[in-house]
Amino acid sequence: MIQLKNVSKIYPNGAKALIDVNLTIGKGDFVFLVGPSGAGKSTLIKLFYRDEIPTRGQVHINSKNLIRMKEREVPYLRRTIGVIFQDFKLLPNKTVLENVAFALEVIGVSRKEIQLRTRATLELVGLANKEKSYPHELSGGEQQRVCVARAIINNPALLVADEPTGNLDPETAWGIMDLLYNINKRGTTVVMATHARAIVNKMQKRVIAIENGRVARDEIKGGYGYDA
Amino acid sequence: MTLNSTRYILRETIHSMKRNPWLSIASVLTVMVSLVILGFSVFFLVNASNMAKSFEDQLEIAAFVEESTTKSELQALQTHIKGMPGVASVTIVTKEQVLTDFGKTMGGTENNILADLGGKNPFSDELTIKATDAQNVIALADAVDALPEVYKVRYGQGFVDKLLVFTQWLRWIGLGVVAAFAIAAVVLISINVKMNVFSRRREIQIMKLVGASNSFVRWPFLIEGLALGFVGGALAAVIVGMGYNWIAMNVQSTLTFLPIVQNVTLFQQVLVGLLLTGMGMGALGSGISLQKFLKT
Ligand SMILES: Nc1ncnc2c1ncn2[C@@H]1O[C@H](COP(=O)(O)OP(=O)(O)OP(=O)(O)O)[C@@H](O)[C@H]1O
Ligand SMILES: [Mg+2]
Repeated sequence: MIQLKNVSKIYPNGAKALIDVNLTIGKGDFVFLVGPSGAGKSTLIKLFYRDEIPTRGQVHINSKNLIRMKEREVPYLRRTIGVIFQDFKLLPNKTVLENVAFALEVIGVSRKEIQLRTRATLELVGLANKEKSYPHELSGGEQQRVCVARAIINNPALLVADEPTGNLDPETAWGIMDLLYNINKRGTTVVMATHARAIVNKMQKRVIAIENGRVARDEIKGGYGYDA
Repeated sequence: MTLNSTRYILRETIHSMKRNPWLSIASVLTVMVSLVILGFSVFFLVNASNMAKSFEDQLEIAAFVEESTTKSELQALQTHIKGMPGVASVTIVTKEQVLTDFGKTMGGTENNILADLGGKNPFSDELTIKATDAQNVIALADAVDALPEVYKVRYGQGFVDKLLVFTQWLRWIGLGVVAAFAIAAVVLISINVKMNVFSRRREIQIMKLVGASNSFVRWPFLIEGLALGFVGGALAAVIVGMGYNWIAMNVQSTLTFLPIVQNVTLFQQVLVGLLLTGMGMGALGSGISLQKFLKT
Protein backbone atom coordinates (compact mmCIF):
# COMPACT_ATOMS: atom_id res chain seq x y z
CA MET A 1 0.00 0.00 0.00
CA ILE A 2 2.65 2.50 1.09
CA GLN A 3 6.30 2.19 0.23
CA LEU A 4 9.04 4.72 1.01
CA LYS A 5 12.61 4.18 -0.17
CA ASN A 6 15.48 6.31 1.11
CA VAL A 7 13.20 9.27 1.53
CA SER A 8 14.63 12.59 2.68
CA LYS A 9 12.75 15.84 2.94
CA ILE A 10 14.53 19.14 3.35
CA TYR A 11 12.27 22.19 3.39
CA PRO A 12 13.32 25.25 1.38
CA ASN A 13 14.36 26.99 4.59
CA GLY A 14 16.84 24.18 5.23
CA ALA A 15 14.89 22.30 7.91
CA LYS A 16 15.68 18.58 7.63
CA ALA A 17 12.28 17.08 8.38
CA LEU A 18 12.98 13.51 7.17
CA ILE A 19 16.30 11.73 6.72
CA ASP A 20 16.66 8.51 4.75
CA VAL A 21 13.35 6.94 5.73
CA ASN A 22 12.54 3.38 4.57
CA LEU A 23 9.06 2.15 5.27
CA THR A 24 6.51 -0.38 4.05
CA ILE A 25 2.89 -0.38 5.18
CA GLY A 26 0.64 -3.16 3.91
CA LYS A 27 -2.95 -3.01 2.75
CA GLY A 28 -5.36 -3.14 5.69
CA ASP A 29 -2.70 -2.25 8.24
CA PHE A 30 -3.34 -0.01 11.23
CA VAL A 31 -0.25 2.03 12.08
CA PHE A 32 0.50 4.60 14.80
CA LEU A 33 3.13 7.25 14.14
CA VAL A 34 4.60 8.53 17.39
CA GLY A 35 7.46 10.78 18.30
CA PRO A 36 8.20 14.15 19.81
CA SER A 37 6.87 17.37 18.41
CA GLY A 38 8.82 18.44 15.34
CA ALA A 39 10.07 14.90 14.68
CA GLY A 40 8.65 14.78 11.17
CA LYS A 41 5.34 12.89 11.54
CA SER A 42 3.20 15.42 9.68
CA THR A 43 5.83 15.74 6.96
CA LEU A 44 5.79 11.99 6.49
CA ILE A 45 2.00 11.93 6.24
CA LYS A 46 1.98 14.79 3.70
CA LEU A 47 4.11 12.69 1.36
CA PHE A 48 1.28 10.14 1.10
CA TYR A 49 -1.23 12.46 -0.53
CA ARG A 50 1.47 14.39 -2.38
CA ASP A 51 1.10 17.61 -0.45
CA GLU A 52 4.87 17.49 -0.20
CA ILE A 53 7.34 15.89 -2.58
CA PRO A 54 10.51 14.36 -1.08
CA THR A 55 13.84 15.95 -1.80
CA ARG A 56 15.31 12.48 -2.37
CA GLY A 57 13.96 8.95 -2.55
CA GLN A 58 10.87 7.21 -3.86
CA VAL A 59 7.27 7.15 -2.65
CA HIS A 60 4.78 4.57 -3.92
CA ILE A 61 1.12 4.56 -2.92
CA ASN A 62 -0.91 1.64 -4.23
CA SER A 63 2.07 0.95 -6.51
CA LYS A 64 1.77 4.41 -8.05
CA ASN A 65 4.97 6.40 -8.20
CA LEU A 66 4.17 9.78 -6.66
CA ILE A 67 7.42 11.36 -7.80
CA ARG A 68 6.71 10.71 -11.45
CA MET A 69 2.98 11.32 -11.14
CA LYS A 70 1.60 13.99 -13.49
CA GLU A 71 -0.06 17.04 -12.01
CA ARG A 72 -3.45 16.17 -13.43
CA GLU A 73 -3.38 12.69 -11.85
CA VAL A 74 -2.96 14.10 -8.34
CA PRO A 75 -6.70 14.79 -7.73
CA TYR A 76 -7.48 11.13 -8.49
CA LEU A 77 -4.85 9.98 -6.00
CA ARG A 78 -6.31 12.24 -3.35
CA ARG A 79 -9.83 10.93 -3.91
CA THR A 80 -8.66 7.49 -2.79
CA ILE A 81 -7.13 8.90 0.40
CA GLY A 82 -9.08 10.31 3.33
CA VAL A 83 -7.12 12.88 5.30
CA ILE A 84 -7.81 14.08 8.83
CA PHE A 85 -5.69 17.23 8.93
CA GLN A 86 -3.92 18.39 12.05
CA ASP A 87 -5.40 21.86 11.42
CA PHE A 88 -8.75 20.53 10.09
CA LYS A 89 -8.73 22.58 6.87
CA LEU A 90 -12.46 23.21 6.76
CA LEU A 91 -13.93 25.58 4.16
CA PRO A 92 -14.93 28.66 6.18
CA ASN A 93 -17.82 29.77 3.97
CA LYS A 94 -19.52 26.39 3.92
CA THR A 95 -21.74 24.78 6.51
CA VAL A 96 -20.83 21.52 8.23
CA LEU A 97 -23.07 19.68 5.79
CA GLU A 98 -21.52 21.39 2.76
CA ASN A 99 -17.99 20.79 4.02
CA VAL A 100 -18.56 17.08 4.35
CA ALA A 101 -20.52 16.95 1.09
CA PHE A 102 -17.65 18.66 -0.72
CA ALA A 103 -15.61 15.44 -0.87
CA LEU A 104 -18.49 13.93 -2.85
CA GLU A 105 -19.17 17.04 -4.93
CA VAL A 106 -15.70 17.01 -6.43
CA ILE A 107 -16.32 13.55 -7.84
CA GLY A 108 -19.79 14.45 -9.16
CA VAL A 109 -22.01 12.25 -6.97
CA SER A 110 -25.75 12.95 -7.37
CA ARG A 111 -27.39 15.44 -5.07
CA LYS A 112 -29.67 12.85 -3.55
CA GLU A 113 -26.86 10.47 -2.73
CA ILE A 114 -24.78 13.31 -1.31
CA GLN A 115 -27.61 14.22 1.06
CA LEU A 116 -28.05 10.65 2.22
CA ARG A 117 -24.41 9.80 2.71
CA THR A 118 -23.54 13.14 4.32
CA ARG A 119 -26.33 12.83 6.90
CA ALA A 120 -25.34 9.26 7.70
CA THR A 121 -21.68 10.19 8.14
CA LEU A 122 -22.47 13.18 10.37
CA GLU A 123 -24.59 10.85 12.46
CA LEU A 124 -21.57 8.56 12.75
CA VAL A 125 -19.33 11.32 14.18
CA GLY A 126 -22.13 12.62 16.42
CA LEU A 127 -22.72 15.94 14.66
CA ALA A 128 -26.16 15.39 13.13
CA ASN A 129 -27.53 18.37 15.03
CA LYS A 130 -24.82 20.75 13.74
CA GLU A 131 -25.18 20.30 10.02
CA LYS A 132 -26.27 23.90 9.41
CA SER A 133 -23.51 25.47 11.52
CA TYR A 134 -20.42 27.13 10.04
CA PRO A 135 -16.94 26.03 11.16
CA HIS A 136 -16.35 29.19 13.21
CA GLU A 137 -19.47 28.38 15.22
CA LEU A 138 -18.05 25.03 16.35
CA SER A 139 -15.69 24.00 19.15
CA GLY A 140 -12.26 22.65 18.21
CA GLY A 141 -13.38 19.09 18.86
CA GLU A 142 -16.48 19.54 16.73
CA GLN A 143 -14.44 20.95 13.86
CA GLN A 144 -12.13 17.98 14.14
CA ARG A 145 -15.05 15.60 13.84
CA VAL A 146 -16.29 17.42 10.72
CA CYS A 147 -12.85 16.80 9.29
CA VAL A 148 -13.10 13.13 10.26
CA ALA A 149 -16.49 12.87 8.55
CA ARG A 150 -15.15 14.42 5.35
CA ALA A 151 -12.16 12.06 5.40
CA ILE A 152 -14.17 8.86 5.74
CA ILE A 153 -17.24 9.64 3.61
CA ASN A 154 -15.62 8.32 0.42
CA ASN A 155 -14.69 4.93 1.88
CA PRO A 156 -11.05 5.68 1.06
CA ALA A 157 -8.52 2.90 0.54
CA LEU A 158 -6.14 4.80 2.80
CA LEU A 159 -7.03 6.94 5.77
CA VAL A 160 -4.31 9.18 7.17
CA ALA A 161 -5.01 10.95 10.43
CA ASP A 162 -2.79 13.62 11.93
CA GLU A 163 -3.67 13.73 15.61
CA PRO A 164 -7.36 13.09 15.07
CA THR A 165 -8.04 13.08 18.79
CA GLY A 166 -5.90 16.05 19.70
CA ASN A 167 -8.76 18.33 20.71
CA LEU A 168 -11.17 15.77 22.09
CA ASP A 169 -12.15 14.74 25.59
CA PRO A 170 -11.26 11.09 26.33
CA GLU A 171 -14.78 9.84 25.72
CA THR A 172 -15.18 11.51 22.30
CA ALA A 173 -11.63 10.50 21.47
CA TRP A 174 -12.49 6.87 22.06
CA GLY A 175 -15.59 7.35 19.91
CA ILE A 176 -13.37 8.47 17.04
CA MET A 177 -10.97 5.57 17.66
CA ASP A 178 -13.92 3.21 17.47
CA LEU A 179 -14.75 4.72 14.11
CA LEU A 180 -11.20 4.32 12.81
CA TYR A 181 -11.07 0.78 14.17
CA ASN A 182 -14.26 -0.17 12.30
CA ILE A 183 -13.13 1.50 9.10
CA ASN A 184 -9.90 -0.44 9.34
CA LYS A 185 -11.91 -3.66 9.87
CA ARG A 186 -13.65 -3.01 6.57
CA GLY A 187 -10.28 -3.04 4.82
CA THR A 188 -9.12 0.57 4.87
CA THR A 189 -5.46 1.11 5.68
CA VAL A 190 -5.12 3.56 8.59
CA VAL A 191 -2.06 5.63 9.44
CA MET A 192 -2.45 7.81 12.51
CA ALA A 193 0.04 10.28 13.97
CA THR A 194 -0.65 10.83 17.65
CA HIS A 195 0.60 11.87 21.06
CA ALA A 196 -2.21 9.96 22.82
CA ARG A 197 -0.31 7.46 24.94
CA ALA A 198 -3.38 5.72 26.37
CA ILE A 199 -4.86 5.07 22.96
CA VAL A 200 -1.64 3.66 21.50
CA ASN A 201 -1.04 1.42 24.49
CA LYS A 202 -4.59 0.11 24.54
CA MET A 203 -4.99 -0.61 20.80
CA GLN A 204 -1.87 -2.80 20.48
CA LYS A 205 -1.21 -1.98 16.83
CA ARG A 206 1.96 -1.45 14.87
CA VAL A 207 3.88 1.57 16.15
CA ILE A 208 6.47 3.52 14.18
CA ALA A 209 8.45 6.09 16.16
CA ILE A 210 10.01 9.02 14.35
CA GLU A 211 12.79 11.00 15.98
CA ASN A 212 14.70 13.82 14.35
CA GLY A 213 13.41 12.77 10.97
CA ARG A 214 14.50 9.14 11.23
CA VAL A 215 12.63 5.93 11.97
CA ALA A 216 13.73 5.17 15.52
CA ARG A 217 11.53 2.17 16.23
CA ASP A 218 9.07 -0.05 14.35
CA GLU A 219 7.13 -2.61 16.43
CA ILE A 220 4.33 -4.90 15.28
CA LYS A 221 2.32 -4.67 18.51
CA GLY A 222 3.88 -1.70 20.16
CA GLY A 223 3.22 0.77 22.90
CA TYR A 224 3.65 4.54 22.99
CA GLY A 225 7.07 4.09 24.47
CA TYR A 226 7.88 7.55 25.75
CA ASP A 227 7.78 7.92 29.49
CA ALA A 228 5.61 10.59 30.95
CA MET B 1 -19.41 18.21 -16.14
CA THR B 2 -22.50 16.84 -14.42
CA LEU B 3 -25.65 18.70 -13.43
CA ASN B 4 -24.53 18.53 -9.80
CA SER B 5 -21.26 20.23 -10.56
CA THR B 6 -23.10 22.86 -12.59
CA ARG B 7 -25.25 23.76 -9.64
CA TYR B 8 -22.17 24.01 -7.46
CA ILE B 9 -20.42 26.23 -9.99
CA LEU B 10 -23.35 28.66 -10.29
CA ARG B 11 -23.56 29.00 -6.53
CA GLU B 12 -19.84 29.71 -6.31
CA THR B 13 -19.98 32.23 -9.13
CA ILE B 14 -22.61 34.33 -7.42
CA HIS B 15 -20.70 34.11 -4.15
CA SER B 16 -17.51 35.43 -5.65
CA MET B 17 -19.18 38.23 -7.61
CA LYS B 18 -20.62 39.54 -4.37
CA ARG B 19 -17.17 39.58 -2.83
CA ASN B 20 -15.84 42.44 -5.01
CA PRO B 21 -18.96 44.34 -6.07
CA TRP B 22 -17.15 47.52 -7.16
CA LEU B 23 -14.59 45.75 -9.23
CA SER B 24 -17.37 43.69 -10.79
CA ILE B 25 -19.29 46.84 -11.65
CA ALA B 26 -16.20 48.50 -13.09
CA SER B 27 -15.51 45.44 -15.23
CA VAL B 28 -19.07 45.33 -16.50
CA LEU B 29 -19.02 49.04 -17.31
CA THR B 30 -15.77 48.92 -19.27
CA VAL B 31 -17.01 45.98 -21.26
CA MET B 32 -20.21 47.90 -21.86
CA VAL B 33 -18.52 51.14 -22.94
CA SER B 34 -16.15 49.40 -25.32
CA LEU B 35 -18.99 47.45 -26.88
CA VAL B 36 -21.29 50.47 -27.13
CA ILE B 37 -18.58 52.28 -29.08
CA LEU B 38 -17.99 49.19 -31.17
CA GLY B 39 -21.71 48.80 -31.86
CA PHE B 40 -22.26 52.41 -32.89
CA SER B 41 -19.09 52.39 -34.99
CA VAL B 42 -20.32 49.33 -36.86
CA PHE B 43 -23.69 50.94 -37.54
CA PHE B 44 -22.10 54.22 -38.51
CA LEU B 45 -19.75 52.52 -40.96
CA VAL B 46 -22.54 50.43 -42.43
CA ASN B 47 -24.53 53.60 -43.01
CA ALA B 48 -21.59 55.57 -44.36
CA SER B 49 -20.70 52.94 -46.92
CA ASN B 50 -24.36 52.52 -47.77
CA MET B 51 -24.58 56.25 -48.31
CA ALA B 52 -21.46 56.27 -50.45
CA LYS B 53 -22.90 53.45 -52.48
CA SER B 54 -26.22 55.16 -53.00
CA PHE B 55 -24.51 58.38 -54.06
CA GLU B 56 -22.40 56.40 -56.47
CA ASP B 57 -25.54 54.91 -57.91
CA GLN B 58 -27.01 58.34 -58.35
CA LEU B 59 -23.88 59.66 -59.90
CA GLU B 60 -24.75 60.82 -63.40
CA ILE B 61 -23.29 63.08 -66.04
CA ALA B 62 -25.22 66.06 -67.23
CA ALA B 63 -24.17 67.00 -70.77
CA PHE B 64 -25.29 70.46 -71.93
CA VAL B 65 -25.88 70.66 -75.65
CA GLU B 66 -25.06 73.62 -77.95
CA GLU B 67 -28.03 75.88 -78.55
CA SER B 68 -27.91 75.39 -82.30
CA THR B 69 -28.62 71.68 -82.00
CA THR B 70 -31.97 70.57 -83.41
CA LYS B 71 -34.26 67.99 -81.84
CA SER B 72 -33.37 65.34 -84.40
CA GLU B 73 -29.67 66.01 -83.93
CA LEU B 74 -30.30 65.65 -80.22
CA GLN B 75 -31.81 62.20 -80.75
CA ALA B 76 -28.92 61.16 -82.97
CA LEU B 77 -26.55 62.34 -80.26
CA GLN B 78 -28.45 60.23 -77.69
CA THR B 79 -28.10 57.13 -79.88
CA HIS B 80 -24.41 57.87 -80.45
CA ILE B 81 -23.63 58.23 -76.73
CA LYS B 82 -25.64 55.10 -75.94
CA GLY B 83 -23.26 53.24 -78.22
CA MET B 84 -20.18 54.43 -76.30
CA PRO B 85 -18.50 51.92 -73.96
CA GLY B 86 -19.49 52.03 -70.26
CA VAL B 87 -22.78 53.81 -70.76
CA ALA B 88 -25.81 52.43 -68.95
CA SER B 89 -28.50 54.85 -70.10
CA VAL B 90 -28.98 58.17 -71.77
CA THR B 91 -32.11 60.27 -71.33
CA ILE B 92 -33.00 63.53 -73.01
CA VAL B 93 -34.08 66.49 -70.91
CA THR B 94 -35.31 69.25 -73.24
CA LYS B 95 -34.87 72.87 -72.28
CA GLU B 96 -38.65 73.15 -71.98
CA GLN B 97 -38.58 70.41 -69.34
CA VAL B 98 -35.73 72.10 -67.55
CA LEU B 99 -37.70 75.31 -67.50
CA THR B 100 -40.81 73.55 -66.18
CA ASP B 101 -38.79 71.85 -63.43
CA PHE B 102 -37.14 75.14 -62.59
CA GLY B 103 -40.53 76.82 -62.49
CA LYS B 104 -41.86 74.19 -60.13
CA THR B 105 -39.03 74.72 -57.72
CA MET B 106 -39.68 78.46 -57.84
CA GLY B 107 -43.39 77.89 -57.26
CA GLY B 108 -44.71 79.48 -60.48
CA THR B 109 -46.10 78.33 -63.79
CA GLU B 110 -44.11 77.92 -66.97
CA ASN B 111 -45.58 80.98 -68.65
CA ASN B 112 -45.04 83.55 -65.96
CA ILE B 113 -41.56 82.23 -65.31
CA LEU B 114 -40.86 82.67 -68.99
CA ALA B 115 -42.27 86.17 -68.75
CA ASP B 116 -40.09 86.90 -65.75
CA LEU B 117 -37.07 85.77 -67.72
CA GLY B 118 -37.87 88.17 -70.54
CA GLY B 119 -39.64 85.68 -72.81
CA LYS B 120 -36.52 83.74 -73.61
CA ASN B 121 -35.69 80.24 -72.26
CA PRO B 122 -32.15 80.59 -70.88
CA PHE B 123 -31.60 76.85 -70.57
CA SER B 124 -30.16 74.45 -73.09
CA ASP B 125 -31.11 70.89 -73.89
CA GLU B 126 -29.44 68.31 -71.69
CA LEU B 127 -28.55 64.65 -71.80
CA THR B 128 -28.50 62.71 -68.55
CA ILE B 129 -25.97 59.89 -68.82
CA LYS B 130 -25.54 57.06 -66.34
CA ALA B 131 -22.34 55.09 -66.32
CA THR B 132 -22.31 51.33 -65.74
CA ASP B 133 -19.58 51.85 -63.17
CA ALA B 134 -18.81 54.84 -60.99
CA GLN B 135 -15.10 54.37 -61.79
CA ASN B 136 -15.76 55.19 -65.45
CA VAL B 137 -17.49 58.47 -64.79
CA ILE B 138 -14.47 60.73 -65.31
CA ALA B 139 -13.32 59.07 -68.54
CA LEU B 140 -16.84 58.98 -69.86
CA ALA B 141 -17.45 62.61 -69.01
CA ASP B 142 -14.26 63.61 -70.86
CA ALA B 143 -15.29 61.59 -73.89
CA VAL B 144 -18.74 63.19 -73.94
CA ASP B 145 -17.23 66.63 -73.46
CA ALA B 146 -15.10 66.08 -76.56
CA LEU B 147 -18.20 65.72 -78.76
CA PRO B 148 -18.75 68.88 -80.86
CA GLU B 149 -22.47 69.19 -79.95
CA VAL B 150 -21.70 69.23 -76.23
CA TYR B 151 -20.44 72.47 -74.79
CA LYS B 152 -20.22 71.51 -71.12
CA VAL B 153 -20.47 68.49 -68.85
CA ARG B 154 -21.03 68.36 -65.12
CA TYR B 155 -20.74 65.46 -62.71
CA GLY B 156 -20.55 65.04 -58.94
CA GLN B 157 -17.09 63.52 -58.82
CA GLY B 158 -15.03 64.49 -55.79
CA PHE B 159 -17.77 64.25 -53.22
CA VAL B 160 -17.87 60.48 -53.36
CA ASP B 161 -14.11 60.24 -53.09
CA LYS B 162 -14.12 62.42 -50.01
CA LEU B 163 -16.86 60.37 -48.39
CA LEU B 164 -14.91 57.17 -48.97
CA VAL B 165 -11.71 58.63 -47.53
CA PHE B 166 -13.68 59.89 -44.56
CA THR B 167 -15.20 56.49 -43.81
CA GLN B 168 -11.79 54.90 -44.15
CA TRP B 169 -10.39 57.25 -41.53
CA LEU B 170 -13.37 56.68 -39.32
CA ARG B 171 -12.86 52.96 -39.55
CA TRP B 172 -9.29 53.25 -38.23
CA ILE B 173 -10.15 55.68 -35.47
CA GLY B 174 -13.12 53.57 -34.43
CA LEU B 175 -10.97 50.47 -34.43
CA GLY B 176 -8.34 52.17 -32.26
CA VAL B 177 -10.83 53.42 -29.69
CA VAL B 178 -12.62 50.07 -29.54
CA ALA B 179 -9.32 48.21 -29.16
CA ALA B 180 -8.20 50.49 -26.31
CA PHE B 181 -11.44 49.98 -24.42
CA ALA B 182 -11.49 46.26 -25.13
CA ILE B 183 -7.99 45.86 -23.71
CA ALA B 184 -8.99 47.86 -20.63
CA ALA B 185 -12.04 45.66 -20.17
CA VAL B 186 -10.06 42.43 -20.47
CA VAL B 187 -7.45 43.72 -18.02
CA LEU B 188 -10.12 44.74 -15.50
CA ILE B 189 -11.86 41.39 -15.71
CA SER B 190 -8.55 39.63 -15.31
CA ILE B 191 -7.75 41.74 -12.21
CA ASN B 192 -11.20 40.98 -10.87
CA VAL B 193 -10.76 37.25 -11.27
CA LYS B 194 -7.18 37.37 -10.00
CA MET B 195 -8.27 39.14 -6.82
CA ASN B 196 -10.96 36.57 -6.25
CA VAL B 197 -8.53 33.73 -6.76
CA PHE B 198 -6.08 35.42 -4.39
CA SER B 199 -8.62 36.09 -1.65
CA ARG B 200 -9.66 32.45 -1.87
CA ARG B 201 -6.26 30.83 -2.24
CA ARG B 202 -6.57 29.02 1.08
CA GLU B 203 -9.95 27.69 0.13
CA ILE B 204 -8.60 26.60 -3.24
CA GLN B 205 -5.72 24.83 -1.53
CA ILE B 206 -8.15 22.95 0.72
CA MET B 207 -10.37 22.02 -2.21
CA LYS B 208 -7.42 20.58 -4.05
CA LEU B 209 -6.25 18.63 -1.00
CA VAL B 210 -9.67 17.02 -0.83
CA GLY B 211 -9.34 15.91 -4.45
CA ALA B 212 -10.81 18.73 -6.54
CA SER B 213 -9.32 18.86 -10.01
CA ASN B 214 -7.93 22.08 -11.43
CA SER B 215 -10.84 22.44 -13.80
CA PHE B 216 -13.34 21.98 -10.96
CA VAL B 217 -11.71 24.81 -9.04
CA ARG B 218 -11.30 26.87 -12.18
CA TRP B 219 -14.86 26.72 -13.51
CA PRO B 220 -16.49 29.16 -11.07
CA PHE B 221 -13.83 31.77 -11.85
CA LEU B 222 -14.13 31.23 -15.57
CA ILE B 223 -17.92 31.45 -15.38
CA GLU B 224 -17.53 34.61 -13.34
CA GLY B 225 -15.47 36.24 -16.09
CA LEU B 226 -17.97 35.05 -18.68
CA ALA B 227 -20.86 36.42 -16.63
CA LEU B 228 -19.19 39.82 -16.26
CA GLY B 229 -18.60 39.94 -20.01
CA PHE B 230 -22.13 38.75 -20.70
CA VAL B 231 -23.75 41.42 -18.54
CA GLY B 232 -21.55 44.12 -20.11
CA GLY B 233 -22.35 42.82 -23.59
CA ALA B 234 -26.08 42.63 -22.86
CA LEU B 235 -26.17 46.20 -21.55
CA ALA B 236 -24.24 47.37 -24.61
CA ALA B 237 -26.65 45.53 -26.93
CA VAL B 238 -29.63 47.19 -25.26
CA ILE B 239 -28.06 50.66 -25.40
CA VAL B 240 -26.89 50.32 -28.99
CA GLY B 241 -30.19 48.75 -30.07
CA MET B 242 -32.39 51.40 -28.52
CA GLY B 243 -29.99 54.21 -29.37
CA TYR B 244 -29.82 53.25 -33.02
CA ASN B 245 -33.58 53.04 -33.34
CA TRP B 246 -33.94 56.43 -31.72
CA ILE B 247 -31.34 58.02 -33.98
CA ALA B 248 -32.79 56.37 -37.08
CA MET B 249 -36.26 57.64 -36.20
CA ASN B 250 -35.09 61.20 -35.65
CA VAL B 251 -32.85 61.32 -38.70
CA GLN B 252 -35.61 59.99 -40.88
CA SER B 253 -38.14 62.54 -39.74
CA THR B 254 -35.79 65.53 -40.09
CA LEU B 255 -33.20 64.64 -42.74
CA THR B 256 -35.46 62.63 -45.00
CA PHE B 257 -32.98 62.44 -47.83
CA LEU B 258 -30.44 60.46 -45.78
CA PRO B 259 -30.76 56.74 -46.45
CA ILE B 260 -30.66 55.05 -43.01
CA VAL B 261 -30.03 51.31 -43.06
CA GLN B 262 -32.94 49.48 -41.46
CA ASN B 263 -31.94 45.89 -41.94
CA VAL B 264 -33.46 43.71 -39.20
CA THR B 265 -31.15 40.74 -39.80
CA LEU B 266 -28.05 42.92 -39.72
CA PHE B 267 -29.40 44.63 -36.62
CA GLN B 268 -29.85 41.33 -34.80
CA GLN B 269 -26.47 40.07 -35.95
CA VAL B 270 -24.70 43.13 -34.60
CA LEU B 271 -26.45 42.90 -31.21
CA VAL B 272 -25.77 39.18 -30.86
CA GLY B 273 -22.21 39.89 -31.95
CA LEU B 274 -21.83 42.43 -29.14
CA LEU B 275 -23.09 39.89 -26.61
CA LEU B 276 -20.71 37.22 -27.83
CA THR B 277 -17.80 39.65 -27.95
CA GLY B 278 -18.55 40.59 -24.33
CA MET B 279 -18.47 36.95 -23.29
CA GLY B 280 -15.28 36.44 -25.26
CA MET B 281 -13.65 39.35 -23.44
CA GLY B 282 -14.77 37.85 -20.13
CA ALA B 283 -13.40 34.43 -20.97
CA LEU B 284 -10.12 35.95 -22.14
CA GLY B 285 -9.81 38.03 -18.96
CA SER B 286 -10.36 35.15 -16.58
CA GLY B 287 -8.31 32.81 -18.76
CA ILE B 288 -5.32 35.13 -18.45
CA SER B 289 -5.50 35.11 -14.64
CA LEU B 290 -6.23 31.44 -14.25
CA GLN B 291 -3.39 30.33 -16.44
CA LYS B 292 -0.78 31.30 -13.89
CA PHE B 293 -2.73 30.20 -10.81
CA LEU B 294 -3.85 26.85 -9.59
CA LYS B 295 -0.63 24.96 -9.93
CA THR B 296 -0.51 22.41 -7.09
N1 LIG C 1 6.39 24.06 5.59
C1 LIG C 1 7.52 23.97 6.31
N2 LIG C 1 8.56 24.74 6.01
C2 LIG C 1 9.70 24.65 6.70
N3 LIG C 1 9.90 23.80 7.71
C3 LIG C 1 8.89 23.00 8.07
C4 LIG C 1 7.65 23.05 7.39
N4 LIG C 1 6.82 22.13 7.95
C5 LIG C 1 7.53 21.55 8.94
N5 LIG C 1 8.76 22.06 9.03
C6 LIG C 1 9.81 21.65 9.94
O1 LIG C 1 10.01 20.26 9.74
C7 LIG C 1 10.18 19.59 10.98
C8 LIG C 1 9.12 18.48 11.13
O2 LIG C 1 7.83 19.04 11.25
P1 LIG C 1 6.53 18.18 11.34
O3 LIG C 1 5.39 19.10 11.21
O4 LIG C 1 6.63 17.08 10.37
O5 LIG C 1 6.63 17.61 12.82
P2 LIG C 1 5.58 16.73 13.61
O6 LIG C 1 6.28 15.47 13.96
O7 LIG C 1 4.34 16.59 12.86
O8 LIG C 1 5.34 17.59 14.92
P3 LIG C 1 3.99 17.71 15.80
O9 LIG C 1 3.94 16.50 16.65
O10 LIG C 1 4.25 18.95 16.60
O11 LIG C 1 2.86 17.85 14.87
C9 LIG C 1 10.06 20.66 12.06
O12 LIG C 1 11.35 21.03 12.44
C10 LIG C 1 9.39 21.82 11.37
O13 LIG C 1 9.83 23.05 11.90
MG1 LIG D 1 2.40 17.22 13.11
